[in-house]
Amino acid sequence: MAFVPIRYNWRSLFVRRSSTALTVVSIGATVAVLAAVLALQQGFATLLTERGREDVAVILRTGAGAESESGLSREDSELLIKESPEFAVDAEGRPLASAESYLAVRLRKTDGGETNVPIRGVQQGTFRVHGDDLRVREGGRNFAPGSDEVIVGWRIAERIRNCGLGDTLRLNLTPFKVVGLFEAPGAFESEVWGDAERILAALERPVYSRVIGVLRDGVTAADLQERLAADKRLSVKAVDERSYLSGQTEALSGVFLGLGIFLTLVMGLGAVFTGINAMYSSIAARTREVGILLSTGFRPFAIFVSFLLEAGFLGLLGGIVGVLMVLPLDGVQTGTTNFATFSEFAFSFRITGVVIGGAVAVAVALGVFGGALPAWRAARMEVTTALRRH
Amino acid sequence: MSPRLILKNLLAHPLRSILTLGSVALAVFLVCMLQAVVTALSSATSAASSQRLWVQSAVSLFVDLPLSYESKIAGVAGVETVCKFQWFGGEYRDGGSFFAQFGVDADTFGPAYPELDVVDGSYDAFAGRRDGCLVGQALADQYGWKVGQTVPIIGRIFPRVDGSAWDFVIQGIYRAKTTAVDERTLYFHFDYLREAIEQGAVRMEPGVGVYLVDLRDGAEPTAVMSAIDALFENGPQRVQTTTEAEFARQFVTMLGSVPVLLRSIGGAVLFAIFFAILNTMLMAARERTRDLGVLKALGFTDRWVFVGLTVESLLLCVLGGAIGIAVAFVLSLGVAKAIASFVPGFEIAGESVALGMGLSIALGLVAGCVPAWNASRLKPVAALRAED
Repeated sequence: MAFVPIRYNWRSLFVRRSSTALTVVSIGATVAVLAAVLALQQGFATLLTERGREDVAVILRTGAGAESESGLSREDSELLIKESPEFAVDAEGRPLASAESYLAVRLRKTDGGETNVPIRGVQQGTFRVHGDDLRVREGGRNFAPGSDEVIVGWRIAERIRNCGLGDTLRLNLTPFKVVGLFEAPGAFESEVWGDAERILAALERPVYSRVIGVLRDGVTAADLQERLAADKRLSVKAVDERSYLSGQTEALSGVFLGLGIFLTLVMGLGAVFTGINAMYSSIAARTREVGILLSTGFRPFAIFVSFLLEAGFLGLLGGIVGVLMVLPLDGVQTGTTNFATFSEFAFSFRITGVVIGGAVAVAVALGVFGGALPAWRAARMEVTTALRRH
Repeated sequence: MSPRLILKNLLAHPLRSILTLGSVALAVFLVCMLQAVVTALSSATSAASSQRLWVQSAVSLFVDLPLSYESKIAGVAGVETVCKFQWFGGEYRDGGSFFAQFGVDADTFGPAYPELDVVDGSYDAFAGRRDGCLVGQALADQYGWKVGQTVPIIGRIFPRVDGSAWDFVIQGIYRAKTTAVDERTLYFHFDYLREAIEQGAVRMEPGVGVYLVDLRDGAEPTAVMSAIDALFENGPQRVQTTTEAEFARQFVTMLGSVPVLLRSIGGAVLFAIFFAILNTMLMAARERTRDLGVLKALGFTDRWVFVGLTVESLLLCVLGGAIGIAVAFVLSLGVAKAIASFVPGFEIAGESVALGMGLSIALGLVAGCVPAWNASRLKPVAALRAED
């Protein structure tokens, strides 16, 4: 069976270029919205998957779902670090474990308003646990142990006042000097880190929030939990870092995904509507051409395929335009409060392969859906009626 | 063009008209929903009372204030009553569903909140029972709670040493007269929590999350605010006193870019739909070039043609907009329940309706004008000669 040359569709689109352009732009804008929400979800999801190690255990007070709800006394923290055989040790025999304090402190945003910024006080052990994951950016350095210095996650350096390199950040009454900006996997990049003892003193906190530690080979967080549950001196629980973190981001991730699906459905339907309209008009104006195609021996099916291809191609163009529209968003920083922790969480739009592929696929699908009915109608035209139209 | 001609034109291509109507309806529906979310998120600030002040730690919302502050704050001139507020953050049914719980002082809480209307049970019954609680109508509806029922809640911030749940007995169900109070909160006695801590059932230090200050009539809020702040300037813990509007705004700004994001999505939706409708209108006008030529040859003026085509587009868009608003309104009733724990107070209010209607009129006008302008400038001879 002979198919209608693709050049016919290509030229048709070109001849009706103003209409083609409008259709492409409207499909493009639809797809751009979907791509933007998808890019947001991707930026969020990347933070989620990049972080969280299964070989790191997080110990919180029993009942607490997050660090902000937890509290561990100094004695308990000491006990957990020194007397947990589950934790690996470094070359000098020190356990790869650390106590951390956590408090979301109210700070002013650079664009006005206030938000809760997580302040983490860490012992030097934290750097041994997270050593390879954390990197202080060029031009800065890590804080000196025991000093009133802090390092700031790069994502919030420009979003929060007094968080730039060299700035002085007041925590409660104590001025801390920002000596470095750091990169790290996940939510750490939205935090301010300083020496645990200095931070506890400045914020007048009596207790740590959690103990983290690297598990020895072959030991799981569940094993640690089992022993801790049996220990009557302590009222704590242990989970692995990955499940701890995913528990904190589930709700927000779900909101983005829900929003994305909702928008896809509603806007997709709108795009199909306009696609059908555009293809109908475009084919109606070409009734005589369809008659000629039929009379020169093309089968109705070939004509159906031809118009469907044309619609799909329109969709493809729309998809490309849509992706081009959102491309400038790549890497743009944004942030909101994570309701699970009630504190600032900054992340960026990420135009990944998933976003591009998803957007283009949706665009082509929209074109094909929109073109199917008109193409079907064109294919079923009577030769004589079609030719009679002037 | 006569109204009849406009109607005939719209009906000449029923599918096209319906589809255009549909896309306008979808766009307006989406914009209404997004606007409703933005409004709901910021609604708490608009209904805030000017009679109430909130005293919180100057450092962090998550730091408790000492119990001893209560009597000191009560002594400040202009303060009528002081009520302790403690965020409980407990879990009901394995955390599958979230709602706020606060420990409050029953004797001062009720009088400070005239917006609270106990519709079932009574406030006095709540005040009279140590382990009693008040729950919002929305919560009661969601879980099918009745007065007298016990609600077990696992404390996450205040876990009981024996691992058991806290039992609160519902003594009253309240409705809110304004959006300053949401109907998804459980209020219980602060003293019930404090006693449990003092008896060793919970290993925690007793503290107060925030103090709610009810102002005496005629008191100057700014003067009281600075007086309270000055009281604790030198510790042991500094405080920050804010008006209720400011306190609520604090939670809204925490949302960061979310409202901007939702608005941009709405803008992009309109942008997309605008082009789609413009396209449809242009195509419709082009197909009718000959008809327009006939009209003009019959003596209809350019202005008639312009107005006629614009009205046609306007009609389509306004009708579509109305459908969109209606659908949004109907669906919002269900959606409001589904997202109540994230976005309380979600409803399609006058603001969203006005926005949706305004946008559909603007859409119809602009999308109608371009082809109408082209058509009005057509030369009858050229138009009659045109192929369709």
